[in-house]
Amino acid sequence: MSTLKNIPVVSHEKPSGGTGNLLANVFDELMAFCRSRSLFMLHYCTGCGAIELPPAMTSRFDMERLGIQPMVTPRQADILLVTGYVSTKTLKRIILTYEQMNSPKYVIGICSCTVNGGMYWQSYATAKKLNDYLPVDMYIAGCMPRPEAVIHGLRELMENIKKGESDNWRDYYRRYDHYLGNQQRLFGENWQTPTDIIGEARHYDLMGPETLGPHTALLEQHQTPLKPFEMTLGLADLPVRKDEPR
Amino acid sequence: MNMIELLTELAVMPLIAFTIGLFMVLMMRKIAAKIQRRVGPPLLQPLYDIVKLYAKKTQNSHGLVHDIGIIMAVGGYIAAETMLPVPGMNGIAAKSGLLALAYVIMIPSLGLALGVGQCANPNGSIGIARALTAMLAYDVPFVIIIFGASWFYGSNNLIDIVAHQQAGGIATWGAAKMPVLAIAALFSMYAMLGKQPFEIYVAPAEIATGPMVEMGGKYLGGLFVMQCFQLFTASAIYVTMFLGGGENWPFFLVKLFAIIAIPMSMAFVFPRYRTEDVLAVVWRWPVLLGLAGVWLVMH
Repeated sequence: MSTLKNIPVVSHEKPSGGTGNLLANVFDELMAFCRSRSLFMLHYCTGCGAIELPPAMTSRFDMERLGIQPMVTPRQADILLVTGYVSTKTLKRIILTYEQMNSPKYVIGICSCTVNGGMYWQSYATAKKLNDYLPVDMYIAGCMPRPEAVIHGLRELMENIKKGESDNWRDYYRRYDHYLGNQQRLFGENWQTPTDIIGEARHYDLMGPETLGPHTALLEQHQTPLKPFEMTLGLADLPVRKDEPR
Repeated sequence: MNMIELLTELAVMPLIAFTIGLFMVLMMRKIAAKIQRRVGPPLLQPLYDIVKLYAKKTQNSHGLVHDIGIIMAVGGYIAAETMLPVPGMNGIAAKSGLLALAYVIMIPSLGLALGVGQCANPNGSIGIARALTAMLAYDVPFVIIIFGASWFYGSNNLIDIVAHQQAGGIATWGAAKMPVLAIAALFSMYAMLGKQPFEIYVAPAEIATGPMVEMGGKYLGGLFVMQCFQLFTASAIYVTMFLGGGENWPFFLVKLFAIIAIPMSMAFVFPRYRTEDVLAVVWRWPVLLGLAGVWLVMH
């Protein structure tokens, strides 16, 4: 288990404690505590590691006593668990899922395959290091890690969240160009997701030095503009049988 | 009653209801855990969840109606709390009644339907269609029960109903005087709570929590608050109609939690009905029991 200290992350400056406004820090600490004690996880079960999660959730190890529960949609979830090897095709779905989650959000890579490709090292179709494409907060290595190891990793993540150290989700906004570059290298130049990360970074004031760069410029060239989904009730749009008289 | 006292009650009653609702959610999750031989969540887990959801940094709004839908969902229940007499506080219960209450507790479902509609998520639309179908199912017996109870008490004013029941101790409780209606009401309330086997519109493994599918952050937080209110409201209506209302807080709380514990102890051993089966079951048994109860009350 590694907390990824060696990866350069643009750190988020904490509000200084000595300004006299005690209440602001009290609220921040309360929120950090509640965030650490209530984690909804979306398990994207890509590989064999998924089999270790049911025992971790059910009566033998019971994650709910730590406030960790499974959720079924990315909108509701805080943690994205990637449990195994990530093929190129799967990675696209993982990135779409990750971008739909609400921040603060955390990514956990379970199993050796997410760390370095594991036994799929020589595969042409597998993404080797998950943290090239997404900001991973915690790796739980092993092939496969036992439920004890999964829970240990989650507890370490809770500890990091409580201390305010686990904010790699900001890194995705601040170094979007880096992540997008790696994604483009794998998926081709016209790779585009339906979530407007740059727009979100602007809106929530999360722009960093590397949010924009050559890769986002490339994205803008190929991008089809994001439009709101239009709901139409036009009868002409309904599928019509071929033999049906119009 | 002067204006300041009334305004204080209007502010305090929803807060009390919310606090009790938090512990009801905790009890529900603890019962589920015990049935599944787990430890279950810690004492303040429902509060952690709500604070965490409200502390999310980014939100996904799908438009104005999406925002208003959540406000309607929570606001409908806040309005309902002010009409439910609790020990020492009557709020505006004297000016309303069971019928007004039945209307007000429909607002959350309708608000949710509006909000989810704008999300344009097919799972959400299926979920809300099922939620409204379930509402159609449990409201038929609910209206029959309200009719029977109002006929028996000669009033649909909740303060009168509580006074009528508290006149002679347990012997004059609604549940003692009209047991058939009380059983039908328990059945109807079980369906109203939307727990297994009536959990057709949440159905996490099937339609990804239905109406909640596009809700994250503050939106989901609002729905968690709504769930606290929903548990309290359903339980408080039942206690007020059939179990003598609240003489004092300790007894009132015991009754509230006991009434919620009955369906919850049954819920987590069941799988889920299909939509048409919910209609078949709810329109058959509670409706028949309710009609029998009304016949008994009128003779």
